[in-house]
Amino acid sequence: GQRVVPLNTWVLISNFKLAYNLLRRPDGSFNRDLAEFLDRKLPANTNPVDGVFSFDHLDRSTGLLNRVYRPESQLGPPTAPIDLENPLSTTAVVPVIVFFHGGSFTHSSAGSAIYDTFCRRLVPLCGGAVVVSVNYRRSPENRYPCAYDDGWAALKWVKSRPWLRSGKDRNSSDVHVYLAGDSSGGNIAHHVAVKAAEAGISILGNILLHPMFGGEARTESEKRLDGKYFVTVQDRDWYWRAFLPEGESRDHPACNVFGPRSKNLEGMKLPKSLVVVAGLDLIQDWQLAYVEGMERTGNQVKLIFLQDATIGFYFLPNNQHFHCLMEEIKNFVSAA
Amino acid sequence: MDELLAVLGYKVRSSDMADVAQKLEQLEMAMGTAQDDGISHLACDTIHYNPSDLSGWVDSMLSEFTNPPDDSEYDLRAIPGVAAYPQADESDKDSSPAAVSSPSSSSSPPPPIAAAAAPSSALIAEPTRPVVLIDSQEAGVRLVHTLLACAEAVQQDNVKLADALVKHTGLLAASQTGAMRKVATYFAEALARRIYKIYPQDCLDPSYSDTLEMHFYETCPYLKFAHFTANQAILEAFATANRVHVIDFGLKQGMQWPALMQALALRPGGPPAFRLTGIGPPQPNNTDNLQQVGWKLAHLAETIGVEFEFRGFVANSLADLEPEMLDLRPADVEAVAVNSVFELHRLLGRSAGMDKVLSTIKAMKPKIVTVVEQEANHNGPVFVDRFTEALHYYSSLFDSLEGSTASQDLVMSELYLGRQICNVVACEGGDRVERHETLTQWRARMESAGFDPVHLGSNAYKQASMLLALFAGGDGYRVEENNGALMLGWHTRPLIATSAWQLAR
Repeated sequence: GQRVVPLNTWVLISNFKLAYNLLRRPDGSFNRDLAEFLDRKLPANTNPVDGVFSFDHLDRSTGLLNRVYRPESQLGPPTAPIDLENPLSTTAVVPVIVFFHGGSFTHSSAGSAIYDTFCRRLVPLCGGAVVVSVNYRRSPENRYPCAYDDGWAALKWVKSRPWLRSGKDRNSSDVHVYLAGDSSGGNIAHHVAVKAAEAGISILGNILLHPMFGGEARTESEKRLDGKYFVTVQDRDWYWRAFLPEGESRDHPACNVFGPRSKNLEGMKLPKSLVVVAGLDLIQDWQLAYVEGMERTGNQVKLIFLQDATIGFYFLPNNQHFHCLMEEIKNFVSAA
Repeated sequence: MDELLAVLGYKVRSSDMADVAQKLEQLEMAMGTAQDDGISHLACDTIHYNPSDLSGWVDSMLSEFTNPPDDSEYDLRAIPGVAAYPQADESDKDSSPAAVSSPSSSSSPPPPIAAAAAPSSALIAEPTRPVVLIDSQEAGVRLVHTLLACAEAVQQDNVKLADALVKHTGLLAASQTGAMRKVATYFAEALARRIYKIYPQDCLDPSYSDTLEMHFYETCPYLKFAHFTANQAILEAFATANRVHVIDFGLKQGMQWPALMQALALRPGGPPAFRLTGIGPPQPNNTDNLQQVGWKLAHLAETIGVEFEFRGFVANSLADLEPEMLDLRPADVEAVAVNSVFELHRLLGRSAGMDKVLSTIKAMKPKIVTVVEQEANHNGPVFVDRFTEALHYYSSLFDSLEGSTASQDLVMSELYLGRQICNVVACEGGDRVERHETLTQWRARMESAGFDPVHLGSNAYKQASMLLALFAGGDGYRVEENNGALMLGWHTRPLIATSAWQLAR
């Protein structure tokens, strides 16, 4: 496995793998204290770094925390650094990317260094977009549908901020949202998009980075790649058992989105989707089935299949897949 | 140092990368075997230190999985701060070892990380300003801006403008509620004092300020966390000593020591002889606060069977302390711990004070030095920056208090913090004693003074988390590990930091 990724990437992801092995208990419980101890975090920072500043926002009534990333150009003077009143722009559309971090519904947070770093990259990449990283509740302490509820709450919060609005003129002012996420975050992005479509809330696009889907069946890719590139079928099963309601199977609609128990997505007018699949990810067959299902139900989807990419290829900017991904995201967000 | 991993919080030398990779492979094999043999409990019981030092972490994990575990080492259980002075109780003496024996770990404290990573200058390039906004602050954004504009006017000596703005702040604050209103009021008052040069008389009766601190201690977990984490480090340092001496730089009501004494009493093999030297400011009316605290602790020591000796020292400043005054005994006879909770920053107002104290500490030849400080830079040279830092810091602190229920305690706690705010904003020179600095700054200072870090581990982390669950009113408190130090914060904003030190080899 070491040859496929740069050495430091291999070290990083292997470290996660081993640490995570320590944290998952056979009885389904999770060593949350040790997980938080081991997680490397970064604080929000209103002093700009590489052209991006950030701050955290806490909704007292729900306890939900979002981390907001903005370009330095939006920073006000020292006496009024964070503008929470005026729209982002009255002459142009400024995208707001609502990002759901990965971690198989269990690990990481908006403050995790890997995700803080990733979100920061998206700001200049998408021409000075705002990124809102959602600190959703995690399993096994908070099972389905908590993560989706939090995603939905975050979307409504974002949509209702006057200071996230933009538009070519005052009359077309709106909060222009893209949903994005990796692994479990991609799964959350999908479900939030569905809910938004049902509620008539406009989302401009979905970016799903090796999204976490599954089902009871064992697909060919799962068998072929089991344990080969950092991930095992056994650990995937553990995370689904930790997230889904107790006793549920992986054909639950949260997991198996085009499975026997799922909602029919035909005619739903879901936002256009960019789905990125890593060719060495063992759940790729589920992701490809997702893409196929979206096409079949008349929803616009673009697949990026990265042949020899492993999970987490986007954590470090040291490989071609990373750069390819960044280019695709940039084009996806800027297209009208 | 591999720069890409450094950004993600892992310090690995590029030259070590292949070695770390190989060890990770070995570790995977060892863990796989462990699980097959059903000894994966090792995973739960291992004490982890400083995850940022990936090489060190992998090494220690490898030795856990490939070597059989040694004798147990106890560690401090969360002993409720409420029971600081418990009733004399026979059962205390008879607590079964099972109550304290910890799961196995290495038999001695881990060696200091060999590559004692000097703070990488690439990583501390810019000061960080972590801001957590509470939804009410969106509504209060004008209030914040007015306060900041006022501070700016003060810095520019524009008295007329500052005066107008501070009055306007009063109006805006009145329309706010909760923590926002209180914080704004304290900051506005402090600004007014600075503008009109009505400086607060800090000749406050120390017993009054101790009372305020007691309320703060009861209302929220910050002081309990400070005591708990410092005690954990002290306990580990004292593990094999038969005679121990703690020098407390700010004894106050001695709230930190009953828990340590109880843990020492329950040590397998029996407690060491415990000597405490408590330092405090001069008292008015000739009351000897230090002796009174000493008596209380002596009484406790007697009930729990710990040989105890106490000495109090009155000092205007820690810089007045000389090692000869302390009756220090040879290091092989008595292990020394120096403990400072929110005391060291007070020395930064006078030149050479800090250097003197750090030399004095070194002359005490301590086994361990525990330092707890506010995690904020309230000592910058530029007034507006200091003001802004403090505004965000105390906003988070006041927000965290909003969850607590005892309203009497809350008011007193707010007063306690309000005095700090006043000092940071209204005072200058020798009067400004609340010169808080960040862990990064303290690290640099301690390391250049000749100290090496002693890392606090996952056991201390876990127990600190448990302590929070027991006592904290709100569930926004977070413990965070930072390169071997532990920080307690409100949501994502760290507010206090505990670090431990030893003399550099």
